[in-house]
Amino acid sequence: MSEVLSWVFAVLFVLVVIAWYLTYTAARLDRLHVRLSGTLAALDARLVRRAEAAVELANSGLLDGATSLILANAAAGSLEAPAEHGNARELAENDLTEALDLALTPEAVADLRSTALGTDVLARLSSACTRVQLARRFHNDAVTDVRRVRRKWTIRAFHLAGYTPLPHTVEFNDEAPEHLAVA
Amino acid sequence: MRIGIVCPYSFDVPGGVQFHVRDLAEHLIGQGHEVSVLAPADSETELPDYVTSAGRATAVRYNGSVARLNFGPVTASKVGRWIDQGEFDVLHLHEPVTPSVSVLALMAADGPIVATFHTSMLRSRTMQTAYPIIRPSLEKIAGRIAVSEDARRTVTTHVGGDAVVIPNGVYVDRFASAPRRSEWIGTPAAPTIAFLGRMGEPRKGLPVLAAALPEVLRAVPGLRVLVAGPGDPEEVTEGWPPDVVAACDFLGAVSDDDKASLLASVDVYVAPNTGGESFGIILIEAMSAGACVLASDLAAFSRVLDGGTAGAMFANEQPDDLARTLVDLLRSPERRATLAEAGQQRARIFDWSVVADKILAVYETVIEGRAAATHPQGRWNRFLRGGAR
Repeated sequence: MSEVLSWVFAVLFVLVVIAWYLTYTAARLDRLHVRLSGTLAALDARLVRRAEAAVELANSGLLDGATSLILANAAAGSLEAPAEHGNARELAENDLTEALDLALTPEAVADLRSTALGTDVLARLSSACTRVQLARRFHNDAVTDVRRVRRKWTIRAFHLAGYTPLPHTVEFNDEAPEHLAVA
Repeated sequence: MRIGIVCPYSFDVPGGVQFHVRDLAEHLIGQGHEVSVLAPADSETELPDYVTSAGRATAVRYNGSVARLNFGPVTASKVGRWIDQGEFDVLHLHEPVTPSVSVLALMAADGPIVATFHTSMLRSRTMQTAYPIIRPSLEKIAGRIAVSEDARRTVTTHVGGDAVVIPNGVYVDRFASAPRRSEWIGTPAAPTIAFLGRMGEPRKGLPVLAAALPEVLRAVPGLRVLVAGPGDPEEVTEGWPPDVVAACDFLGAVSDDDKASLLASVDVYVAPNTGGESFGIILIEAMSAGACVLASDLAAFSRVLDGGTAGAMFANEQPDDLARTLVDLLRSPERRATLAEAGQQRARIFDWSVVADKILAVYETVIEGRAAATHPQGRWNRFLRGGAR
C-alpha cells in the first residue's frame, strides 16, 4: 500500500515540476512578447518623427525647389506607408533615407547651418535619425530574443506561443545622412 | 528623469567602469536628472552622496582576473529594496554578466532596463556555463550599449543580438582649462615631448620611443623627454645610450591635475602604443588639453585622430618612422599648432555632454517602448501575470 502511495507522490511531484517549468517558460515568453510590442511601437513613433522632420526641412524654404519636392515626396511616402511592417514599408523608409542623403550635400548643410531656422531643423532631423537607429536596433534585438526562445521544443510542443505570429526583423538603411554629423 | 545606475565593481578601488559610472552620474545630475548609483563599497570608503553602498565587496577570481564583487542573499534583498524605493524611470546596469549587484538588480527589476557592456575579453567557457542561468534575465534588457567595437563584438558573439556603440566620455573642459607649468613648457632650442603610461609594459611603447630617440637627439640636441607613469626608471633605461637617458625626465606616477597640465604644456605628446588599445581615451585627453598628438597608426588611434587630420601618426613599431615624423613636427611650430587646434576641435565629439546625450536618447527610446507596450490579452496571459494589469 505504502509503495503505491510513494509512487503516486513521485508522479505528482514530477507533474508539479513540469507544470512549474511550463508556466515559467510561458511567462518568460509572454514578457518577451510584451517587450517586442513596445519596441515596435517605439520604432513606429520614431519613424513618424523622422518623416515629420524631413517634411519640415522640405517646407522650410531653405532648400532649392527640386530638392524640396524629392524630400517631401519621400517623407509623404513614409508617412502614408502601410502601418504593418513589411516590404512596402521598408522600401518607403529606404527611399526617405536616400532622399535625405541626396538633399543634404555638404554645401546644403553649410547653408542651412548659417541660419537659425536651418540649424534648428537640422538638429531635430539629426536627433530623429539617431533615434530611428536606436529604436530599430532595440526592436531587432527583441525579435532575435523572441525567435531564439520560440525555437525551444517545449514551446513548440505545448503550443505556448499561442497564435502570436513569429516576428521578423525590420531591415532598411537607417544611416544618418553622411554630412549631418556633428560639426 | 529618475535614473538608477548599478556598478558591479567596488568603489573602494579605482577602475575604468567605476570612473565611467561616476562621470556619467555627475553629468546627468548636472543636467537636472535624479540619479542614484548602487555599488559595493566598504563602510569606511568616502562616497559621493548619490552613491548607495550595496555592502562590502569580496575579492573573487572570475573571468580570468580578481575582482572585488558583492553577492549573496543579504545583498540581493538590499538590491531589491533599492529598486523598490528608487521608483526609477529607467535602470542602467553596467557589466550585467558579472556576478555582482548588476546581475542581482537584473533579476529583481521589472521596469525599462538599459545595460552597458564594457569588457572585450569575456571567456567563452565562463559564458557557456553561466548562460543557462542568466539568459532569461538578459532577455529583460531592452537596450544594450557597448563602449567600443570590441565590446560590441563580445555582445554579438556571446549574448546574441546587437548593441549600440557609445564610447566613454571625456570632460574636455577639465583638460582644456588645465594650467600650463613653466618647467614643462619647451623652448625652440629645447622642446619638450611627453610619454604617459606604465613604463615597464612593452605594449605602451616606451621601447619604441627609446629606439627612435638617438636619431631625434642628433637633429634636436636640446630635446627633453618627460616620462610620466609608474615604473622603475633604472630598470627600464638599462641598455639605453647615455645621451638618451640624460634627455629623459622621469616624473613617476602623476595625479589627474598634473597629467592635464603636462599634456597642456608639452610641444608634442607621443603615444607609441604597439597594440591592445580598444579606444585610446588618453589621446582624447591630450587633444582636449591642446597638445599636438603623435601616435602609432593603430586602428583605434586612427579612428580617434580621424585618419591623421587631428594628430600625426607613424607606422606602428617603426622607430625610424617615429623619429622622422617627430623631428618634422619639432621643426615646424605651424604644423604643431594646426594639428593641436584640429585635435581640440575633434575632442569635442567625445565630450561627456555629447556622450550623455546619446545615452539619454537610449533611455528615452527604452522608456517609450515600455510605455507603448501592449499586453497580449486572453485568460492565459492574465493568469501568467498574476491577474494584474
